[in-house]
Amino acid sequence: MNPLAEGAKEGSSDVNAVRLQIGEVCCAFKFFDDKIYHSLRDLYSVFLTDDTPDVTMELEGFERLSAGNLGKAVRRTVYTHKTKNDFQTSSNIMSGEYDLTTRFIKINAEKRLADPESKVNHLNRMVSLAYYMACRIKYFESYPAMMMHAAGILRNGRALLFTGPSGAGKTTLAGFCGERDGEVINDEIVLVSRPDAASKEVTVRSAPILGAFPCRRIVTAPLHSISLLKQSKKTSVRRLDKTEAYLRLMRQIITPTCIGHGRKREILALIADFSMEIISSIPVFELEFSLNREALWRAVGEIEGMADKEAKQ
Amino acid sequence: MTPESITKAEDIISRRVGDDVVVIKDDGQSLYVLNKTAAFIWDMCDGVSGIEDIVQKLCERFEVTPEEAREDVKKIIKVLTKMGVIKYNKELSKG
Repeated sequence: MNPLAEGAKEGSSDVNAVRLQIGEVCCAFKFFDDKIYHSLRDLYSVFLTDDTPDVTMELEGFERLSAGNLGKAVRRTVYTHKTKNDFQTSSNIMSGEYDLTTRFIKINAEKRLADPESKVNHLNRMVSLAYYMACRIKYFESYPAMMMHAAGILRNGRALLFTGPSGAGKTTLAGFCGERDGEVINDEIVLVSRPDAASKEVTVRSAPILGAFPCRRIVTAPLHSISLLKQSKKTSVRRLDKTEAYLRLMRQIITPTCIGHGRKREILALIADFSMEIISSIPVFELEFSLNREALWRAVGEIEGMADKEAKQ
Repeated sequence: MTPESITKAEDIISRRVGDDVVVIKDDGQSLYVLNKTAAFIWDMCDGVSGIEDIVQKLCERFEVTPEEAREDVKKIIKVLTKMGVIKYNKELSKG
């Protein structure tokens, strides 16, 4: 009997399960709470699917900490591992176990971490964990795909990514995006992958990531350029050399360790290689920007022009 | 006497970017850039070469005296050890 097929069957029980299409994989999330389940069905509505899940994550909730103490605990939480198939947290707010054979992830967490209305919810982290696990099961670590902290903007059929650490201005930039400027794919995290092994084209996709902008449709578009954001008093664009681009880009990729993945070196190596491929084929800029909206979009136009010129050379 | 051994740490991966080497710890968040000289020394942290082997190769590759090379190698080995990206089983003397 194929253990994967058996696991898929087991994971297909639909008790409070939300099945989501995330790029090329399907992840099912079983929630302990009816209210959260219904709320997430609405929030993730464009990603709902009937496909057989590649992985199922079951969430059990407990409530030990007050909202205030949970916020403090989240800030000082460190992930640790007893075995390669589990994780714990130093603050005991969350723990998880995975079984690749049955394609099953069990998460025990403070209830608020799964509540989209909570400021400290870890739903994006859980979605990322399920996604990487599903990719690992489905593609055996050979599929170049990763989640990147970035605001994605669709312009002229192409995806422009604006990345940077928290506070760099991803949401601010997305908020400045009017209809004529483009369409916000997401202001927090996007999927970056190369779905077709034979093709060199790197693709950006929307993912079920909760941010300031609700996702109205799934966007898939070729990656055009990447800009590292820096809020400033002026607006300017600078092309980054390969080393700086690589270093700064790698810091914005959601790596398996950040999300409690035990066996991470192989996946990290795949991500490191894919990032190298990206900086070798996609121009990376630093975009310093002020709160002057017109200057910002002029600079974005400049980025497009420079990237197009490079592509032609 | 324990033979001298300088090895790369197990929890890291490295990638060459032009002349530089980027070293990434497997938490994915600790990243270091090694310049040309440090990258050269890094490549020689193979568990076989000792300080004097690296000094000799560095002198062959770059225009430096053995004294200058030795100082650089010791300094860089010390920094890389402190960063936790290599393991050196001996104490480094000053200078």
